[in-house]
Amino acid sequence: MPVDIYWRIHMEGDQPSLRRRVRSRGGFTPGGTAPGTRDGLDDGYSHADYMAEVARAAEESGFVGGLLPNFPHTDDPWAAAATLARETTSYRFMVAFQPGFLHPVQAARMTATLQQATGGRIVYNVISGGGGPAQLWWGDKVDHDDRYARTSEFLDVLKGVWEGGHTHHGRFYQVEDAGLPEELAGQPFPEIFFSGSSPAAIDAAGRHADYYLSWLEPFEALAEKFDAVRAHSDTPPRFAVRVDLLARESEEEAWEEIRQGWQARAAEEGHAGRGDSVGVRRSRSFLAEAGDDYRGLEVAPNVWGGFSALRDGPAFGLVGDYHQVAERLDQLLDLGVDAFILAGVPHLEEARRVGRHVLPLLKGRTS
Amino acid sequence: MARDTTSPSRFHVILPTRSPVRAELPAFVSDVRPALADPAGRTAVAADLAGLAGALVPFDPGGQESLTVAANVLRRTRHLRVVAEFHPGVATPVYAAKLSASLQRFAAGRLGWQVAVDLDPGVARAQGDFLTGDDRYARAEEFLTVAKGVGQGTFDFRGDFYEVAGGGFAPPLSAPPFPEVYLSGTSPRALALSRRHADVHVFSADDDLGTLIPELPGLRYGLRLSSLDAVGEYAAQGVTEFFVQTEDVYHLGEHVKERALAG
Repeated sequence: MPVDIYWRIHMEGDQPSLRRRVRSRGGFTPGGTAPGTRDGLDDGYSHADYMAEVARAAEESGFVGGLLPNFPHTDDPWAAAATLARETTSYRFMVAFQPGFLHPVQAARMTATLQQATGGRIVYNVISGGGGPAQLWWGDKVDHDDRYARTSEFLDVLKGVWEGGHTHHGRFYQVEDAGLPEELAGQPFPEIFFSGSSPAAIDAAGRHADYYLSWLEPFEALAEKFDAVRAHSDTPPRFAVRVDLLARESEEEAWEEIRQGWQARAAEEGHAGRGDSVGVRRSRSFLAEAGDDYRGLEVAPNVWGGFSALRDGPAFGLVGDYHQVAERLDQLLDLGVDAFILAGVPHLEEARRVGRHVLPLLKGRTS
Repeated sequence: MARDTTSPSRFHVILPTRSPVRAELPAFVSDVRPALADPAGRTAVAADLAGLAGALVPFDPGGQESLTVAANVLRRTRHLRVVAEFHPGVATPVYAAKLSASLQRFAAGRLGWQVAVDLDPGVARAQGDFLTGDDRYARAEEFLTVAKGVGQGTFDFRGDFYEVAGGGFAPPLSAPPFPEVYLSGTSPRALALSRRHADVHVFSADDDLGTLIPELPGLRYGLRLSSLDAVGEYAAQGVTEFFVQTEDVYHLGEHVKERALAG
């Protein structure tokens, strides 16, 4: 079975490197790029123009598409996917969303409209909630464990609407004779990448996920997590891992990049520090004894847990030369991983680098 | 009545949300026509080239979803104002506002909202929306209050339909203008909602404009028309935004627009 490799899009704005934590591409920092200024005036470009460059670089470099994440401080992935749908050819838009944002009928209608525009290139990353104060920021009052019940009901209704003639009177949603019109009906239903590390999430994943998506963790912990998902599912989903890469010609070069970023890192915690996300807490627990030296965060060869200090997003990623990074990815395949969502900063140039230097070295599963 | 020359007529094309039926070519004619991709986008480009003011993507339960179509239309055009029509049941107001803030960032603030409040009850239930009567206006009121509020810094809200705590967008999502709001309806509730939230109130051709317009001071007035014959008369009554469905956008741009502008 072929392995789908995605490349993330930076909905939060892009950094020029890990050496300095400034998101200067996409209009998140004044005086940056896209929009930029020319002769003192706005140059007429927008974040969408830069994202289009990243999407095209990704599809040309060997990635099947990209994950478009969604946080309070980021641009919106439905807006981005709908904006860029017709500017890409093979690129699959993996749209991250929480069921509380949209009514399932609306989600079905938006998805089908995009499937029609792209020839079926929409993929879902269903998130049940980063939680805590962030949920009330979104205007969502549903509790952590209830959010997974809602996610299940949401996906049931969405699939029912997709098939047509759907009536449902449930705890969170009701619809009467709902379906897609002839104009939109009959298209493929998107693959579902399901995120969530808590027991409630793993339970819900067993019912709905095509892929269970996890952040990178130390490999043994990841294997345990996959086992837990398998134990909860009659038909286990496939597994996907979201992995940041810092790959260079030589190992020294890669770590020098990290060293510089570590020195310059801002003292304050990133956005991932809030909320009731179990994924965030798990990542922290692996680093409890690592100390403050950046190489101390290398919990296993090339597996480094300090990325969240250098850019928005999860803690763990791979650092090393091209061969080392490719080997670790091969090890993850052996561990049972079926798909990757890779990322690197800046997302534009690193998509091309990884496509040129790392992907060709992958050997695939040995067992 | 003399025309108010400070308020020129502005034309908005109502975009198609369904794929067109193609002409049947005779069997002996070689037919290598590609599928007509993106009819809304093509019509919108025509409207932009023809110099029209805007385009409306209607809420069409039998067609494509309007915000998705609007995103593509905004991307394909340079100047056109693009109004997406939807009802408040589709999303939370925070999410609708956030999605729209990104579209505004991508398209230099050209998005507008036509908020559909009254829906046919059967259509509404099929959309998962079981609210009826005056409650629909109460919800629309809260929806617009919250959606506008989160774009203006720190925001907390506790209403009958929505609740937000510690909300509000940070820069740069807080920077773009809120979409222009278009509302319709002739009931007292509809007019009250427009007074509070609309930038433009859109009438139907058979509404009694002479009575209704004085009830909505300070707004702009729009009209959905099937024919352009009476544009001059409506303009004289104060209507500035004309929504028309036409397959001949260039003609509208080249002839009708100028004729109307020339008064």
